[in-house]
Amino acid sequence: MRVELEIWRQASQTAKGAFERHVVDDATPEMSLMELLDRLNDQIVGQGDEAIQFESDCREGVCGACGVTVNDDPHGPVPNTPSCRQHLRSFGEVRKLRIEPLRSGAFPVIRDLVVDRSSLDRVIRAGGHVDVAAGTAPGADSLRIPYEEAELSLDFAACIGCGACVAACPNGSAHLFGGSKLAHLALIPHGEQERGRRAEAITETLDAEFGPCSTYGECVKVCPAGIPLSAVAAVHKERLRGVFRGRDN
Amino acid sequence: MPSDTVMAMTELKEAAARSQRRAPSSFALKQVMAITGIIFVAFVVIHMIGNLKVYAGEDSFNTYAAWLREVGYPLIPKQGILWALRVTLAVSLVLHMASAITLWARGRRARGRHRRRGMKGFSATSARAMLPGGVVIFVFIVVHLLDLTIGAIVQSGTYQGPEADGTVHAYANLVASFSRPWMAIFYALTMVIIAFHVEHGLRTVLQDLGATGRRFRKLWTILGGIVALAIVLGNAAIPILVLTGVIA
Repeated sequence: MRVELEIWRQASQTAKGAFERHVVDDATPEMSLMELLDRLNDQIVGQGDEAIQFESDCREGVCGACGVTVNDDPHGPVPNTPSCRQHLRSFGEVRKLRIEPLRSGAFPVIRDLVVDRSSLDRVIRAGGHVDVAAGTAPGADSLRIPYEEAELSLDFAACIGCGACVAACPNGSAHLFGGSKLAHLALIPHGEQERGRRAEAITETLDAEFGPCSTYGECVKVCPAGIPLSAVAAVHKERLRGVFRGRDN
Repeated sequence: MPSDTVMAMTELKEAAARSQRRAPSSFALKQVMAITGIIFVAFVVIHMIGNLKVYAGEDSFNTYAAWLREVGYPLIPKQGILWALRVTLAVSLVLHMASAITLWARGRRARGRHRRRGMKGFSATSARAMLPGGVVIFVFIVVHLLDLTIGAIVQSGTYQGPEADGTVHAYANLVASFSRPWMAIFYALTMVIIAFHVEHGLRTVLQDLGATGRRFRKLWTILGGIVALAIVLGNAAIPILVLTGVIA
């Protein structure tokens, strides 16, 4: 099957990018977006040109490395699915794909479809971790967490950090990402001694590097981990809690 | 200088520019928007309930209008509550608008050069309408005050302000104003815009004030829809009924 592609090419962060047209004649319905790009790169390299740069790793939707914008949709036309799990068979009659990087001011393009998502790492560095007492492992029953709470916390922990929520947001907000981290860590006793400090650090980093949330709700449509919109509310819930409490915990 | 060093430097500079602490924080501005927004929704709902007196006839409506000017008297001086509310609403309006514009500018900057395209769906559409809708609502507030409170520039030919003895002509002013078709249509259309603004605003309040509970969020969303619907039905009906001669 024939697929017409418009692909964003950009030589470096400072270079001006532009779309480049390509045609893949031997695409198959079972090809994922990544496999389609692989096929195209074979073609391009065969002609002696530079391959299109893009990121991907596990190709089974768990690592968060991949992510391109397809016809204006971060990750592609299938909702809540990472780029590597989007197959041509699910695109219906669409045979023309415009593929560009995940777009946001916080994600400068490094090359072609590869963006620098270290702004997300800075959110994690600010507060997406817990202080633990090192030493002998505690007894398995010494820290009791109800099953429902553990499950809910793990639902928020499912975020793979791909950054599609930021690319989907017209405000370039990372509240779904930051909120999933805050909600995940607020629901379990680990690291509760720094709950207030964490909320402050994460909110400040979100404020400094990303935009505000206006409840467009676009982030939840693309999130491959299915993080709900209540994660966004968790950002301000945790921050307000910290403000009124005025303590580290 | 090697080009990768130049690039690293630009990157550092850009990162520094991005991570500048801004005052007031977006978090603080969102709190301001949520609280002032709730004040406005409460005001609009109470205003709408007051407007319903128009269905009970001229006397009922005018008595209510006159009462507003002397609530709490003699404990509170005449017009005391009225002016307290006016000042609260005016301050809220300035804060709400200043925050909205600041946040909008920050969102645009954070998004960068490549705008989000191809958004579909109710939430995205009403979110996009918030700022332009807000501008329309601001224009409406100015027109509404000039038309029925101050009686200047856009008022009807027969406008009469309150008398010294406390008699008001609110009903006659309202009927005279809405007998002008363009004014009646402007009022009715603005109510539809306000309804969408309120519906989306109330849903955003959940996010801003940090309501994460699943049941509460559902309940609040439904409640927001009902409030928005009540505003349209209660208010927009009045100019239409005046225009069609039912209220005269």
